[in-house]
Order: sequence, then C-alpha cells, then structure tokens
Amino acid sequence: MAFRETMELKYQEILKNYIKDQSETALYQGQKFSRKSIENQVTPEEIISLHKQLLEDMYPDLPKYVVHSFDILLEVILPYGVAYRENQSLRDQKRELRSEIEIAANVQQTLLETKVPVVDGLDIGAISVPAKHMNGDYYHFVQDENNSISIAIADVIGKGIPAALCMSMIKYAMDSPLENRPEPSSVLENLNRVVEQNVDPSMFISMFYGMYNHDRHIFSYASAGHEPGFFYDGKKDEFQEIHAKGLLLGIDKKTKYIQYEKQINQGDMIILLSDGVTECRTDEGFIEKEVLMTYIKKYADLSSQEIVTNIFKEFERRQNFQLRDDFTLIILKRDV
Amino acid sequence: MENQSCVLIQTEWDIVAARQLGRNVAKEVGFGTVDQARITTAISELARNIYIYAGEGQVCIEKIIKNGQAGLRIVAVDKGPGIPDIRLAMEDGYSTSGGLGAGLPGVKRLMDDFEIDSSLGSGTEIKASKWIR
Amino acid sequence: MNIDIEIVEHNSVIKVSVRGEIDVYTAPKLREILFPLAEKENANIIVNLSDVIYMDSTGLGVFVGVFKSVRSNNGKFQLVGLSGRIKRLFEITGLAEIMDINSRMEGESL
Repeated sequence: MAFRETMELKYQEILKNYIKDQSETALYQGQKFSRKSIENQVTPEEIISLHKQLLEDMYPDLPKYVVHSFDILLEVILPYGVAYRENQSLRDQKRELRSEIEIAANVQQTLLETKVPVVDGLDIGAISVPAKHMNGDYYHFVQDENNSISIAIADVIGKGIPAALCMSMIKYAMDSPLENRPEPSSVLENLNRVVEQNVDPSMFISMFYGMYNHDRHIFSYASAGHEPGFFYDGKKDEFQEIHAKGLLLGIDKKTKYIQYEKQINQGDMIILLSDGVTECRTDEGFIEKEVLMTYIKKYADLSSQEIVTNIFKEFERRQNFQLRDDFTLIILKRDV
Repeated sequence: MENQSCVLIQTEWDIVAARQLGRNVAKEVGFGTVDQARITTAISELARNIYIYAGEGQVCIEKIIKNGQAGLRIVAVDKGPGIPDIRLAMEDGYSTSGGLGAGLPGVKRLMDDFEIDSSLGSGTEIKASKWIR
Repeated sequence: MNIDIEIVEHNSVIKVSVRGEIDVYTAPKLREILFPLAEKENANIIVNLSDVIYMDSTGLGVFVGVFKSVRSNNGKFQLVGLSGRIKRLFEITGLAEIMDINSRMEGESL
C-alpha cells in the first residue's frame, strides 16, 4: 500500500516539527495524517508503535520509563481499534438494512393502496403517516354498488413484512366481491379466527370496522380493541367518544364482537384514528384528546381531506417533526 | 509442524499465564511488538471466555509453518455449555459481556485465520492463527 | 428509552418490578426476561408497573405473550400498580377482561 510506505516518513516529519515548534500548523498536518491513516485502515496501535520507535531513534537516551509507558499504552489502546472497526462494520450493515427496508416500504405501499371513495353527500378525508419506513397502521375503504362504504382501520402490533402481510389479508378479505356484504361483527369474527391461526403469537391487531349505509345514513360498526374515535354532533356541537368494546384480533379464536349503530345526520362527523394520534407526546407530556377536538373545530369549514392534513401538520409540529408512532386519521362528514 | 505448549484455565490468574505464554512464543516466532500485542489480546479474550462461560478449559499455543511462512496458532478448548447460536455470537454488535470490541468478532479481527466449533452440551473449540507477513 | 427490571423471588412467587418506559426499544429486554419465567410450569408471576411512566402497544405485546404462555403452562400472572393511562390501554384493547390487572398490591389501600 503506497500510503504505508510513506507513512513512517510523514509521521516522523510531523512529530519532529511539533517537538520543535508546537505549532498549530504541525497539529493540522497531524490531523490530515490521521484522516489518511484512517482511510487506509491503519490501526491505533500501529501509530503508537511507530511513535515509540521514532522516539527511540531520535533520542537514544530516552528514559526506560517512557519506553515502558508506550508499551502499556499500546496494549490499552488496541481494543479501541477493534471497537472502532466493529463500529464501522455496523454502520455499513445499517446502510444495507436501510435500503432493504425502503424497498419493503415501497412494496407495501404499492400492494396496499386504497383510494378514498367519492360519494354524494359524504366528504371523506384520510391520512396515514408512518413514524419510520414501514407503516404499522392500515386503513382500507370499499365502496359497493349501493353506495355503501365499508371502512377498516387497523393497527398491527408487530412490525415489518409480517405486519404488512397481515394488512394484505384484511384488504383481500374486504375486497372480495360478496353477494351480501357481511356485517361488521361478522367481519371481525372471521378475521379474528384467521389472524389467530396464521399469525405469530407475538403479533396481534387492533381494528375498527364500520359500514355506512348511504340510503339510511346509518353507520354500523364494531371494534376489536381499537383506539376509540369520535362522533361529532353537528346540531349540538358536541363530540362523543365512540364506545365499542371488543378484544384485539388474534388473541382468542372464540371472541365475539358486539355491533353498534348510529344515525348520522347532516353536519355530523365520524372521526376514526389510530393510537398514534392519541398517544402523541411532546416534551411537556401527552397531547390530549381535547386538543384534537379543538383542531377539528378550527378547520371544520374546510374539506375533510384538508382537515386531516392540517391536523397532521399541527401534530407534527408539536412533536418537533419526530413522530413516535404511526399517525392515522380519517374523517367522514355528512354534507347532505 | 507442531510445537505446542498449553495452559490450563481455571482461575483468572491463568488468563495472565496464557498471555505470557502467547507473548513468549510470538517473540520466538518473530512477530513485531504490535502483532505480539494483537496475539496476546486475542488469547486474553479467548481465555477470558473460557473462564467466565465454561469455568474450565485449556489454551494451547503452537508454532506453525505453512509454505515456508512462519506463524502462531491459538487453540482454545473447553467442555462448557457451548454456544447456542454461533452466527449470533459472531455478529458485530452482539456481545454478552460488554460493549464493542469484545467478543469473538474482535478475536477474528485481530488474527488472520479463525475457526470455531461449538455445540450445546459439548463445549467449544476455537482455533485462530496469525502469520508473519 | 430507559428501563429497569428487578426480580425478587419469595415463596415461589416471582415479583417483577419494572421502572421506566416500555416501548419498541425497551420491550425486547422485558420480553427476554419475562418469557423464560412464563414458560415454567405452574409459574406465579406478579409484575409491578407502578414506576412505569410510559407504555405503548409494544409493551402490550410482551404482556400478551407472557399471558398466553403462563396460561398454557397452568400458571398465574398478575399485573399490579397500573397507572390510569396504562389501565386504559388494557381496557380499550379488551385485555382487561381476560388478564388480571385489578388485584391490589401488598400494602396498597383501597
């Protein structure tokens, strides 16, 4: 290696210069030398050995204690060099992993895309932003011929590819064309059995499933341990937490889910979310639900999509642009 | 060509004895100061593993020659519990006994050749060699 | 991101005290410690969460795993000292109905 041949001479020059002058220039030369050595994989113990050897050559009367001190310094520094190399290797591995994850995230996004339905009289907005590359939250819309909308929002606990595969199970189950679309409680019960059977014991899913009947404007829904959303009553100007009890999917294959119904009137809103919204933390503490409601009112006159986007931006700002958890927010507003 | 001396590892002092043996042999073979330090550190790490995880074992140092090149081989053997997941133990960043720099990946970096054989219940054997360049 | 786990065994009851945060970074450590305990036959494990300042769904995952394992090994598993926030997490997910999170700790007044 060309560098090593000249390395000894170079270091000797720097050492001699500094001993003579203690100048900043010599130190700067030293730093440049360091950078080159590191690039050429010279280890710290080699530098110390070189240093000692040069000193002995330059000062034949060098006291024994100085020589001994360098010997022990070499031994003590040696593991630092090993640690450094391990660190470098870890950084390379990290870079590789990151590109793998980015590919996986892209695949996930492509496979699981869902379009927000456009329905007369209903204004729907949805946003889902992952905290890292792969999204642990999932939402899916299905619109059928009677203009009824099915909506699922799920939080897969457990990450990565297996979680994404769970999501595709949900999507597939929902997309399958069925004569009679099953009721929310049946959907959850079926999915629960599938998840319990097929999924890693350390993974489970919280899910909220609802169906909006467009003709009767009735929203029927069931929840499997999902973070409760809200109804907004347009006339009374009041928010009400959606109470729907049910066990997470995948825990007990015999779980039954209760189905609820709510009449949705003009001006009312259905607000669905993942716990990334309600568990938002800043340095001062949790961002409370009341804050969310304040924001909804603040942007109430905008379209649902604009509402959810603006709220996300507010939350992002309050967390200093570092999301701790995946953020999903869906708003359905009945206009007419 | 074998020229072997061994140290029984039972107490922490035996680690020092193994180091000393390693350094002496390294000097005889003709390794420079830095390589002596690397070999000794590797021996120290292997002997320490025996002492901590197996309780008892043996470290042997051999002079070796291959294709006219002189070198030194460390053979560390124990009848301890064995390493359940060798791949994991050889991974960077994985360390049961401390931070970076320690462990088997470290030994591999300090030496030129590295071989390991270990199974649950049957103990561990590690061979690591270094050659005069 | 910090977690502290202390284990005390007394009269074949294993008391685990957790301090700090249970999240995606610290949950693996908690899992590593609790799972082997849960796999023993007839285990009796009490986990005290009164010094846990934050827990999210990854923590839930660990406890569900422990619960399932203890159940299949005929053991007993209780969580005590849950803060309001953490209790809510168990209630929303329906786990409060199937897991024991309401027992009082020793010395805790009603």
